Amino acid sequence: MSASLAIAFIFCVIAGRFFYIQAIWGRELVLKATDQWNREIPVIASRGLIRDRNGSVIAGNENTYSVFVRPNAVEDKNYCAAAIAGALGLDGDAVFQKISRKGVSEVTVAAHVAAGDVEKLVACDIDGVYYARDNTRLYPYGEALCQVLGFTSTDGSGISGLEKYYDALLSGKNGEIMYTTDIVGVETENAAVVYAPAEDGSSVMLTVDARIQLAAEQVMREVYYSCGAKAVSCIVLDPQTFEILALVNYPSYDLNDVPKDDTDLLNALSRNRLVVDIYEPGSTFKIITAAADIEEYLKGNSAAFSPEHIFNSSRTRSVDGTTIKCWSDHKNGKHSNQTLAAALNNSCNPCFTDIALSLGVDTFYGYLSAFGFGNVTGIDFSGEAVGMLLPQSMVRDCDLARMGFGQTVAVTGLQLACAAAAAVNGGNYYVPRLLKGVAGEDGVFEEVSPVLKSKVISEEASRMLAEMLEGVVTEGSGKNAYIEGYKVGGKTGTAQKYEDGKIAVGKYVSSFIGFFPSDAPEYLALITVDEPQGAYYGSTVAAPAAKSVFESIIALKNIRPYE
Amino acid sequence: MKAFKSVPAARPRGDVPLLVCVCLMVCFGCLMIYSASSYVGKVQYGDAFYFFKKQALGAVAGGALMAFFCFFPYRRLYRFRYVAVAAAVALLALVFVPGVGVTNYGATRWIGLGPLTLQPSEVAKYAYALFAAAYFSKNYRKVKSFSGVLPVLAVGALFCLLVILEPNMSITMCIGMLMLALVYLAGTGLKTFALVLIPCALAVPALIIAEPYRLERLSAFLDPWSSPLDEGYQLIQSLYALGNGGLFGVGLFNSTQKYRFLPFAESDFILSVMGEELGFFGLMVFFCGCAFIIWRGMRIAKNCGEPFGYLLAAGFTLVYGIQVVINALVVSGTIPPTGLPLPLISSGNTSLIITMASMGVLYNISRGSAVSTGLPRAPSFNK
Repeated sequence: MSASLAIAFIFCVIAGRFFYIQAIWGRELVLKATDQWNREIPVIASRGLIRDRNGSVIAGNENTYSVFVRPNAVEDKNYCAAAIAGALGLDGDAVFQKISRKGVSEVTVAAHVAAGDVEKLVACDIDGVYYARDNTRLYPYGEALCQVLGFTSTDGSGISGLEKYYDALLSGKNGEIMYTTDIVGVETENAAVVYAPAEDGSSVMLTVDARIQLAAEQVMREVYYSCGAKAVSCIVLDPQTFEILALVNYPSYDLNDVPKDDTDLLNALSRNRLVVDIYEPGSTFKIITAAADIEEYLKGNSAAFSPEHIFNSSRTRSVDGTTIKCWSDHKNGKHSNQTLAAALNNSCNPCFTDIALSLGVDTFYGYLSAFGFGNVTGIDFSGEAVGMLLPQSMVRDCDLARMGFGQTVAVTGLQLACAAAAAVNGGNYYVPRLLKGVAGEDGVFEEVSPVLKSKVISEEASRMLAEMLEGVVTEGSGKNAYIEGYKVGGKTGTAQKYEDGKIAVGKYVSSFIGFFPSDAPEYLALITVDEPQGAYYGSTVAAPAAKSVFESIIALKNIRPYE
Repeated sequence: MKAFKSVPAARPRGDVPLLVCVCLMVCFGCLMIYSASSYVGKVQYGDAFYFFKKQALGAVAGGALMAFFCFFPYRRLYRFRYVAVAAAVALLALVFVPGVGVTNYGATRWIGLGPLTLQPSEVAKYAYALFAAAYFSKNYRKVKSFSGVLPVLAVGALFCLLVILEPNMSITMCIGMLMLALVYLAGTGLKTFALVLIPCALAVPALIIAEPYRLERLSAFLDPWSSPLDEGYQLIQSLYALGNGGLFGVGLFNSTQKYRFLPFAESDFILSVMGEELGFFGLMVFFCGCAFIIWRGMRIAKNCGEPFGYLLAAGFTLVYGIQVVINALVVSGTIPPTGLPLPLISSGNTSLIITMASMGVLYNISRGSAVSTGLPRAPSFNK
């Protein structure tokens, strides 16, 4: 009897213990064990396409595959290595070494293999060899827009440019195929396969117009070679919305063949200089000074000069004991008895010194700030520079005098283009952007609407300024940008470059800001030519390039001349 | 005995349910071995039925031996008491002879006989039970004194020493517990029993300290996840299997842990696979079967009319019962892992054959007890 009780007791203890493990602890144990039971093969999400504003694909995908091997599941390693090497054109010994490694459950043998090669290998039907789509990014336009688009790493994640900026949108979410395997990764006979589909990335549409981009690239390439310049760039935007239509930095590189081995070269070529680099703008900056003057005049500020005001014809101004000279010698009646319009036409420095000094630091800095200088524009691109603006409290008169015509100030090309656009579009400063829309699940693009940042000057001031700038092209220094039958406005600029705080002799940045039609601007372009050889005036180097770009746009968009 | 033999109606039938249960157990064991080992067999030996075939062969041999002992008068075993001890000692010693002993997993526990291997410690358990039963039944008047039980203790200590040298902690413990149980069942005095029990209890920590790996196993047992890839691995895998089984199991042949995650899935840890495939309720049915065998065995001992049969039946039942309990406790992580098979189920022919043979002896004792009700019971029976 006591023996029976003892037996019963012992079995009750055992039963209790098993009940605890299997009924109460079980779920937690299974969770812990799941890791060791399953192996996953990733299903790579298809990266979203990048399209231009008309729908052309400018960054797409080519279907390629990763080939990998589970060494433990391979029966004949020699055969396997030979088959892989044969199909993919690899070195057989190297493949054999790879798949013979101990202590790894999975080896990637090759990545970005073309579909055709993979099919050859699939036909061999070797146990232990697996494939996963990995996609290779393909850029149909090669080097066009390369600094803006950026590129992806071999695993398909964006590492520069918009590929990086919009990576979260583009990359999607990888799925996976899950197999149950034995302890070393060999698929079990009744392997339950769980398939979690990949969520493909969203396609995005850019504000860029590929045709304008290509035309601008072509123009800039020609300028680059004909001027022997160090670098050239061009930005075209829509002044009504600040949508970037084209953005060229030349020299550039082929996105389908990124020079990843030469880091210095790649760093130099992949800089989106118009956005991340700054330069002293020179005379193109006079647009801002003029805008400030006109707006203040219309507001009734007595310090501002009226459009009819005749500026002192002297070549020099003396400020804080320093002498400021005009680039022109003012001889033989040149630059005499100028109004504001004539000063713009002639790009006469002393007139703009007068304006800046007359308005004073507070007012002038108020306009600089409103026009976005000393701050980022907020474009959807990483690494935007803020430019260099002396702190307001430290500005001496001699600094202010030079800032009036674009010296002692450094800006990005994008900042200047945006400021000029706001000055001539009716006075509206928008946030510039590259993203036009994102494709929803139904594939329809949802457009991003323009964001108005601030109202910088009045309609009237803007209209007056645009008229004056049209005059610069019809009769002033911007004549080289004139197109018969079209109202083109613009301003030239030629800035001396500084090296180590001193003027670098013979080194200039020649630039031109142009827009048309000047009474209701639809296109605005900023051309900069860094260190042109020979002729270096913006009027001779940059203005013709702007003209070419505009002519291309006119042809592409079939824009009729005004009556 | 002769008087009854002449009456056909009273012809003793013995404990047939025990035999039926044992046969069912063995068949079930073969099935579980197939389930637990088919994958390992295929991968390592190229034959999914590798372990199954071996076990089936053992089952046939065990069945034959069981049948033999069913009809072999158990009393004649009395004569083999010294032979059994001598043979067991010889076999245990043979393990240490280079070229004969087979070492696996760091322990030399087997004797190689061509393609076959024999595990002497399996034989030793039963030899010891036989010897103790024979000795006590002859000298049951001396069992109250310490000197009276000394020969049984001496042989037990010798066996333990030889087995621990292999090393095989679990069978050492098994023999030690058997020794204590038999001394107790033989009716020794409380004082003498205490005198035996205390040194045995002290031996356990001493043995643990002697071999550091036992200490590691002990700590791994307390927290297996502190060393999930080394000491704690086996226990973790066993718990995963049981946890995966839950209450109702994942179904026969559907174990995940048998895919080489769980080491010794077909032998010492087959209970884990059973728990995974058949679930908690399946295990409970199985344990009922085990309890049934133990209960029938103890009943046979109780009903046996004379001391030798009583002690022999109790001893053999204990050998079976102790192994089942220890195995269940190890698999469920209740006590530190030791390598002890689940008798009648685990793969391993020595254990299977000799356990089946012992069941045959039990049956024979049940037949004997049925015909010898007229004999007086030994004084020590009514405890």
